[in-house]
Amino acid sequence: MTSAVACNTEELLAVLMSREIRDWEISACGAVSMIPAAALLLAEATHAPNADIIILGSEQLDRNLGKDIHFLSQRGKLDLFFHSAIQFDAEGNFNLHVVGDPNAPELRLPGGYGSGLMSYTAKRILFFRTEHTTRTFVPKVDFVSGAMVTPPSIKRPQDNFKIFTTMAVLVFDRGTNSYRLESVHEGFTPQQVQERTGFSLGSLEGIPMTPPPTEEELRTLRTEVKERMIETGTYPQWARTILQPA
Amino acid sequence: MGVPYIPVRGLAGTDVFKRRDDMIIATNPFDPTEETVVALAQNPNVAILHAQKADRDGNALLRKHGEDVMVAQASHRVIVTAEEIVDKVTADDEGGQFISAINVTAVVHAPGGAHPAGVPGYYEQDADHIREYMRAASDEALFRQYLAKYVIGKTEEEYQAMVRQGSRVESHAAGGGA
Repeated sequence: MTSAVACNTEELLAVLMSREIRDWEISACGAVSMIPAAALLLAEATHAPNADIIILGSEQLDRNLGKDIHFLSQRGKLDLFFHSAIQFDAEGNFNLHVVGDPNAPELRLPGGYGSGLMSYTAKRILFFRTEHTTRTFVPKVDFVSGAMVTPPSIKRPQDNFKIFTTMAVLVFDRGTNSYRLESVHEGFTPQQVQERTGFSLGSLEGIPMTPPPTEEELRTLRTEVKERMIETGTYPQWARTILQPA
Repeated sequence: MGVPYIPVRGLAGTDVFKRRDDMIIATNPFDPTEETVVALAQNPNVAILHAQKADRDGNALLRKHGEDVMVAQASHRVIVTAEEIVDKVTADDEGGQFISAINVTAVVHAPGGAHPAGVPGYYEQDADHIREYMRAASDEALFRQYLAKYVIGKTEEEYQAMVRQGSRVESHAAGGGA
């Protein structure tokens, strides 16, 4: 199989994640979330026309929710939320706070809120990362901003956590508390993905290929979605420069 | 709200608890099988909030998105700084979030007071200045230089004169001192 159209990393992740958005559900992304915003609008333009979509940071599509989004999620009524992290580790911890020694960090990130609250309360979390390297997938994170494994006393009616990268889709199974490969993108092998991951991904046998973005998905992303991002003040500069001409 | 603490879902298993003592994990008193975070109420002595417009009674129009009203209600004293002082601000005014005078202790006319952030309808954020601040904030010596240049011993008028460039669009930027 070959994909009909070449695309860049952002377009790839937007298309793959848009497929996870379900019609009639409430799906949201936080501020400074260009790829998730594109994914949400692509889903709305294709298979999820009745989805409730919340894009914080968009001039017109943030729905003026303010703290309502927090309480929506706390009540367990938010179906899907997007999240990134700078590091993920074998135990299901992720870091969006600091890289290096927390007392003298090399890099500080703004990750406290989404990591610590939204990722515990939204029903499905789509993690994403625009690279797949051993600096992202590490044996142990420098700071635990969020944990996928918590005791049963912490009530978390959530699905398995998925991570979308440039090479593969990983699943953190909430039953076994371990990672596995859901699929590997075109052009890569499971072995290559394992080599670029700092912990075990379990069995590498029989892993399917991620269905590549279709011509139709990319065309919609590059026309309808791009135009809608520009006209609604949803990262218009990003849409103009990153989403390619149709 | 006036409550001494509040339960919150989330944060279990994180390193946040290693660095803060105002949040703990506690058992739900009504359901012993459940635990949540319990966060201590934050009650600032003083909150300073920047408004687009305020009147002399303290009614004001704050930024639309944000938790400014909640911050005001949690604080013992509230100072509203405003781009403009007008005769009357009401809950029907458009373009911002209304805060009633009952929540406000004092009002200050401070045009340009959000700099280097922006105020919708007045001026954009000053991205160059934010970058300058971020560079300075990464290093103790650079930060001292930043403070010496913009803050220590400077009046508000001197500060506004120094940063008044490019993105400012409001009338006060064109005129003399405030």
